[in-house]
Amino acid sequence: MDVIRDLLDQLVVDRNDREMGRVDGIVMEIAPGRPPAISSILIGASALGERLHPAAGRWAATLERWVGVGRERPVRIDTADIREIDRVVTLTLSVGETSAGAVEGRMRSWLLRLPGSK
Amino acid sequence: MKKLFTLALGVITSIGGFVEVGSISTSAQAGSEFGFSLLWAIAAATLFLAALAEMAGRVAAVGKRPMAAAVRERFGIHFQAIPLCAEFITDLLLLTAELGGAGIAIRMLTGIGFQWWIVPIGAAAWLVLWFGNFDVIEDGIGLLGIVTLVFVVAVWRLAPAPSTVARGFIPTIPGHDIVRYGFLAVSIVGATVSPYLLNFYSSGAIEEKWSRNDLWINKTTAYAGMGFGSLVSMSVLAAAAIVLGPEHVKVNSYDQAALMLAPPFGRWGTTLFAVSLFIGCFGAAVEIAVNAGYVCAQVFGWTWGVNRRRRDAARFTVAFSAMLLLGVAIATIGFDPLQVTLISVALTVVIMPVIVLPFLVLMNDATYVEQHTSGAFGNGLLATLTVLGAVMAIVVIPLEILGGS
Repeated sequence: MDVIRDLLDQLVVDRNDREMGRVDGIVMEIAPGRPPAISSILIGASALGERLHPAAGRWAATLERWVGVGRERPVRIDTADIREIDRVVTLTLSVGETSAGAVEGRMRSWLLRLPGSK
Repeated sequence: MKKLFTLALGVITSIGGFVEVGSISTSAQAGSEFGFSLLWAIAAATLFLAALAEMAGRVAAVGKRPMAAAVRERFGIHFQAIPLCAEFITDLLLLTAELGGAGIAIRMLTGIGFQWWIVPIGAAAWLVLWFGNFDVIEDGIGLLGIVTLVFVVAVWRLAPAPSTVARGFIPTIPGHDIVRYGFLAVSIVGATVSPYLLNFYSSGAIEEKWSRNDLWINKTTAYAGMGFGSLVSMSVLAAAAIVLGPEHVKVNSYDQAALMLAPPFGRWGTTLFAVSLFIGCFGAAVEIAVNAGYVCAQVFGWTWGVNRRRRDAARFTVAFSAMLLLGVAIATIGFDPLQVTLISVALTVVIMPVIVLPFLVLMNDATYVEQHTSGAFGNGLLATLTVLGAVMAIVVIPLEILGGS
């Protein structure tokens, strides 16, 4: 597998095919005497921003704190929880078992206050 | 039968949605200053737009991905950040111009200054997006846009000599104001090939669940819809050429542009112009805003779609609302909508290579389009034209600003 081509930036869905975000970053584990391995994938604006530029990462983290989800971000998914990497990255988890739905949930709570929210 | 209905609706809504602030102002200026001689630019730009839209639809139908998602997956965020920022800036400018254009249309009907109308228009656009589903947002607004056919009727009533009109389709170098001519040609391309249209089109294909079997619908909608739609733009140019040209009226405001409908429709001319301008601009504003939601959601992997309950696609909803709010905020400052339009359409041509070129790479990648790849010749031609257009834009825009000729 080509990590850059097949994993980074791909869509992540939970076991029920619900969108959870994209692979915004990856965490490598380097242990002596073993080849480097990917231990987890990261989802979230701060991880994505960090990849572009450290300042973009800080800016995104501030935005996440402002939305009120600073602690839940970025979302870290263990590679053990990945079921399949094909056109999308499918997890064995459901979105509710992770903090990937935090921003969506926070914004949903904003929308539900509006009239005619459906 | 249902497919035929989808096809007819697609073509009709493409016609209705073709004309907006950019195409009306560039066509009116081109016609009033250079007669029919820039008709070729509308024809060429439309062909270009139709080819790109067809490709966007093909990636959506075969690869099941909208354009923004496919670009992120294929090129990564480091590359995508560039077209994304460029498109965001031009889209925001265009949204501001559309809101201003709609405001001016109401001012023509009521006499009350256009700035007073920006907030109500923004609120109305948001309500359409908040309550409407795909049928309302895409088809409903497109159907209302049929009113813009008044420009075609106007030209039919003005009855220009067919041979004079036909000569406009052959590119020629004018005897005067070459820079201005080049600038208007570039602006017409920028006004016609709006990047937001491509992603909006491909997102629509996903919302309507197009598959491989719908490729013929895609091709027909793209070419026939946009082709017939361009007739409206061409009619604006022709009406301006016939009515405004001989009077030496240079279109520096929409009120001057409205005069083109006076001879064919008498005192109803201004009203018909204002109604067409309003519907064209309002529809485009709604589409640009919802497209901002589409792009954010597709790039970042959120749930999206106007057929979902808004609370089930909360980030998508917040994104299009924020775009609309930003557009309203800038529009209320009170820039001249015509000037904003002209800057936005000229900039579009400059940024076009970073938007079109990656797209052409996708069209040769079997991961996205399987065996339905584009030929190397067609892709090469589109790539060359894109780069040529951008180079021409980079040359003529500074010259135009400096007032050279």
